[in-house]
Amino acid sequence: MSASAVFILDLKGKPLISRNYKGDVSMAEIEHFMALLLQREEEGALAPLLTHGKVHFLWIKHANLYLVAATKKNANASLVYAFLYKVVEVFSEYFKELEEESIRDNFVIVYELLDELMDFGFPQTTDSKILQEYITQEGNKLDTGKSRVPTTVTNAVSWRSEGIKYKKNEVFIDVIESVNLLVGPGLGWGGRLRRPRGLWGPGAGDGAAAAPQVSANGSVLLSEVVGTIKLKVFLSGMPELRLGLNDRVLFELTGRGKNKSVELEDVKFHQCVRLSRFDNDRTISFVPPDGDFELMSYRLNTQVKPLIWIESVIEKFSHSRVEIMVKAKGQFKKQSVANGVEIAVPVPSDADSPKFKTSVGSAKYLPEKNVVIWTIKSFPGGKEHLMRAHFGLPSVEKEEDEGRPPISVRFEIPYFTVSGIQVRYMKIIEKSGYQALPWVRYITQSGDYQLRTS
Amino acid sequence: MPYLGGEEALRDLRRALANPHVQADRLRYRGVVLRVIRHMTQGADVSGLFTEMVKASAAADVVQKKLVYLYMCTYAPRQPHLALLAINTLCKDCSDPNPMVRGLALRSMCSLRMPGIQEYIQQPILNGLRDKASYVRRVAVLGCAKMQKLQGDSEVDGALVNELYSLLRDQDPIVLVNCLRALEEILKKEGGVVINKPIAHHLLNRMADLDQWGQSEVLAFLLRYRPRSEEELFDILNLLDGYLKSSSPSVVMAATKLFLVLAKEYPHVQADVLVRVKGPLLSACTSESRELCFTALCHVRQILGSLPGHFSSHYKKFFCSYSEPHYIKCQKMEVLCELVNDENVQQVLEELKGYCTDVSVELAQGAIFAIGNIARTYTEQCVGILTELLGLQQEHITSAVVQTFRDLVWLCPQCTDAVCRALPSCEETIQDSEGKQALIWLLGAHGEKVQNAPYVLEDFVENVKSGMFPAVKMELLTALVRLFLSRPAECQDVLGRLLYYCIEEETDMAVRDRGLFYYRLLQSGVEEVKRILCSPKSDPSLGLLEDPAERPVNTWASEFNTLASVYGRACWALVTAHQPVESCYACSPCTDPKGRRTEPLISEGNKEVLQVHPDTGSLTLIPDMYLTAEQFEKTWLNLDISCKHSLPWHGTAHSDTIQTALHVVHIQTIAMSKAGVQPWKAYLSAQDDTGCLFLTELLLETEDSEMQVSVKQSEAKPEALKTFISILGSVMETVFGLRS
Repeated sequence: MSASAVFILDLKGKPLISRNYKGDVSMAEIEHFMALLLQREEEGALAPLLTHGKVHFLWIKHANLYLVAATKKNANASLVYAFLYKVVEVFSEYFKELEEESIRDNFVIVYELLDELMDFGFPQTTDSKILQEYITQEGNKLDTGKSRVPTTVTNAVSWRSEGIKYKKNEVFIDVIESVNLLVGPGLGWGGRLRRPRGLWGPGAGDGAAAAPQVSANGSVLLSEVVGTIKLKVFLSGMPELRLGLNDRVLFELTGRGKNKSVELEDVKFHQCVRLSRFDNDRTISFVPPDGDFELMSYRLNTQVKPLIWIESVIEKFSHSRVEIMVKAKGQFKKQSVANGVEIAVPVPSDADSPKFKTSVGSAKYLPEKNVVIWTIKSFPGGKEHLMRAHFGLPSVEKEEDEGRPPISVRFEIPYFTVSGIQVRYMKIIEKSGYQALPWVRYITQSGDYQLRTS
Repeated sequence: MPYLGGEEALRDLRRALANPHVQADRLRYRGVVLRVIRHMTQGADVSGLFTEMVKASAAADVVQKKLVYLYMCTYAPRQPHLALLAINTLCKDCSDPNPMVRGLALRSMCSLRMPGIQEYIQQPILNGLRDKASYVRRVAVLGCAKMQKLQGDSEVDGALVNELYSLLRDQDPIVLVNCLRALEEILKKEGGVVINKPIAHHLLNRMADLDQWGQSEVLAFLLRYRPRSEEELFDILNLLDGYLKSSSPSVVMAATKLFLVLAKEYPHVQADVLVRVKGPLLSACTSESRELCFTALCHVRQILGSLPGHFSSHYKKFFCSYSEPHYIKCQKMEVLCELVNDENVQQVLEELKGYCTDVSVELAQGAIFAIGNIARTYTEQCVGILTELLGLQQEHITSAVVQTFRDLVWLCPQCTDAVCRALPSCEETIQDSEGKQALIWLLGAHGEKVQNAPYVLEDFVENVKSGMFPAVKMELLTALVRLFLSRPAECQDVLGRLLYYCIEEETDMAVRDRGLFYYRLLQSGVEEVKRILCSPKSDPSLGLLEDPAERPVNTWASEFNTLASVYGRACWALVTAHQPVESCYACSPCTDPKGRRTEPLISEGNKEVLQVHPDTGSLTLIPDMYLTAEQFEKTWLNLDISCKHSLPWHGTAHSDTIQTALHVVHIQTIAMSKAGVQPWKAYLSAQDDTGCLFLTELLLETEDSEMQVSVKQSEAKPEALKTFISILGSVMETVFGLRS
């Protein structure tokens, strides 16, 4: 790759901080960046890659900042973007939140970090855990000049320092599966739009009566499950870990084909996992970094039933009102419970005087986001709930069209995985021979979970 | 905050820095240094404090040292004399017991970028290369590259290069990768770091220790290695297989490129590779980072160019999500167009139809054009959808649909009737001139099938005076004359009025001339007009131009995973083609020596090159000429050299790139030496539309010389020869620009 310079700009394009790594791009080039960006935006041809003369700008936006890498080479774009995101990640770990203010307040550390992250345009030490060993916020308190030399900087295993000690040796394993779902717009109740029997008209309140009319709603356009296994490691010394999963390929290799197993696709590991061993006999063995990290990720392409199914009718009567009716159904095991369910339903931006009625949970109108959020704290599997909302519309209609934002859903189902993946064992071997405890937790949550509205 | 950079502030800071009480109190001292840096960051010039700041670097506080070093690196080029003062302190710090301090000092010293610094940094760098702390070695290795850059053209130090090569065996992975990077920079003129068999195998074995940056770069360096045997090749591929599924998208892309290039001669292996990376690429396409997602989509498009069906079964992954930025949605629509097949066409069209009514005008029109693209294969279905969209009577939708219809009728004449049935009443909705032009063209070319065509055109003629764009007027003229030929009775009067207006009242010269032209043409009789105007109304062969078989993987493998594939080939050529022109007047202060040497050559020798666009000269090279090597040789020996010429060039010539580039402008490569061979030669041939042959020899004696071009011509045509040489010149210029 090789980036000649890295800039951090505010929203107006003014450089907050910059670092000229190579000296072959004039630092004044950045003045063209904002103009170029605005011009492209106006043309509707904005892309994360802009070129001025011989200089290419690869940029990302984070909060109220632009991070821009300038290069003259025909660079490897994905590497540059990955580096910029790494910069964001490292800064965020230092300042909690990376934004204009935190850059201004911590410019010394930002300079120090930029110095260590990259040299002469090449990424150097980018692991924030290692950086934190020798660049600290406390560094701004006085030290005596005899700063400790971190072992990691000179270590062969670059992700773990030697001499780590814990009183209690423990590992926490989180198996998290995110469900991404995209559902096309359905035909609504009864195949064509029919006004739901009014919540506020005669016969109000018998929400259940409306339910039998429900027929075909949207079809699933896309459904996938992305799983990650995250570890929180509190182990002394240089432990050797081995993780056993109910991996189908492994079971077939070892002739345990009958047991319940899971077919994992597109498996990716943290750098610490010995890939050659995995390829040979599917063993996941590694020396872990200290603290939090993502050990592996996988994907499940088998179509699964949407865990929370939404049917909706949003009926807009111009100049007078909008009526919304949403039905949510938990399509998972009765024993499981979804927590913190939030269903966000779009409403026109000029809607007013909201009224809600829900069979469970509470609904809240967020005018700044133009949505109604229906919150259900605990939603057991197999249950069905209803919400109705009513908004007034002004008699003078708004000019511009607003598009059709989707309904989005957030939820979390503990003690449950869609794939049925299981941690069978976690072996921890360290030469001092201590006993360590592994703890396992399973969670299924919503990823990008959207249902289009018609 | 006080107004920055004022004299007052500078004086205050100087006073504080020099104050012995401040210097005695470390915390206060650092505070003052911090204020100086803050001013510097905000763009104020505080270079006047150089002397005081140099003194501040002597402090024991590491953070303060860092700040002062940063200050020095920023202002050293402006204060070279004073910067020499700092060198003493830096040299001393280079032998500090603390490796962090040693590394810091060395890095800063190498980054001073001022003339004459080399002699001071040489020894510390050499010491650094042998330091026991890897942190210092990392810095020292890159220091070598910095030193070479400062020295510019001078000799490469052989001993240093050897030292770096031996450091490839260093324990520390970052030292290893830095060595490769440094050697690459130092040996730039000789074609970069050499990857021979032992080095390649060593790198392969160390891959697992490297971080994602190191892995991506080593994979790129390995591109240079040519395995000696088939067995070795497949061993390498097996060893690297895991990286095709790495969790870092950049490693995946780098590995894919390496596989594609290594397996150049094994198309089935290439195909397998692309199957293997399908999953990782798809997950990069749904990555949380929009930019990575964008890059991945660009590469998916590139792959689809050669393997149209490759992602067809995953088409749903390319459906747009509501909140995605515009550039991703556009890429996704392009991808959808390319992976359409009989099974998914229904669903894809259904999805695209949804985007056609999007709030964003650009997106809606983009979706309509995308449907137009698909219509080349699935005409009937698409025309149905497009016709339906007309019913919405939305300005921008109707305009885009009519434009799509125009292009479609030209490529797929079978849909003409359906299109003509849909046209009536469109004129009421269309407001923009692109849409009007398209509608007018359709009415002119196919007016005999549209009942009310003359009356629609008449309406346009009525409004011709009210701010109509010249382009629309021209289109209107052509259309009316054409329609007049098929429906004279209904058009005569209107045409007369339009011609009268154009000739007597119009102020735009182009329109007026066009009007006069048609007027005179009509005077020469209807038969003559028909002969001239009734050209074919469609050209289905154009639709087939993009035959994927003509774009094998090898044509783009070498540019995979570079900016070229993110831009798209055509766009990239445009971006890079402009560069030599710009460098002529926008002379940046830090032009590298290479740039300086080529510029005079361009401006003196072949000025026309820059002005004449390769394809628009008086010369048209025909695409399908094919000469065998024997024919070439015979002709070559029979002809005399018509012209000798030299082109700026450095380093090795990469045959693949040159060949591809020449192919684009229809110059055929007969034979070419391998990259790096000396002398390097290439034989090219081309033919223009009159049958005149251009035979060319390219000769590169040594890597440092200029490229000698000798051209022989089958007929003496000096004008064409000049254009040919300028085309060749600009192609080589572009290739040269691509490499650096």
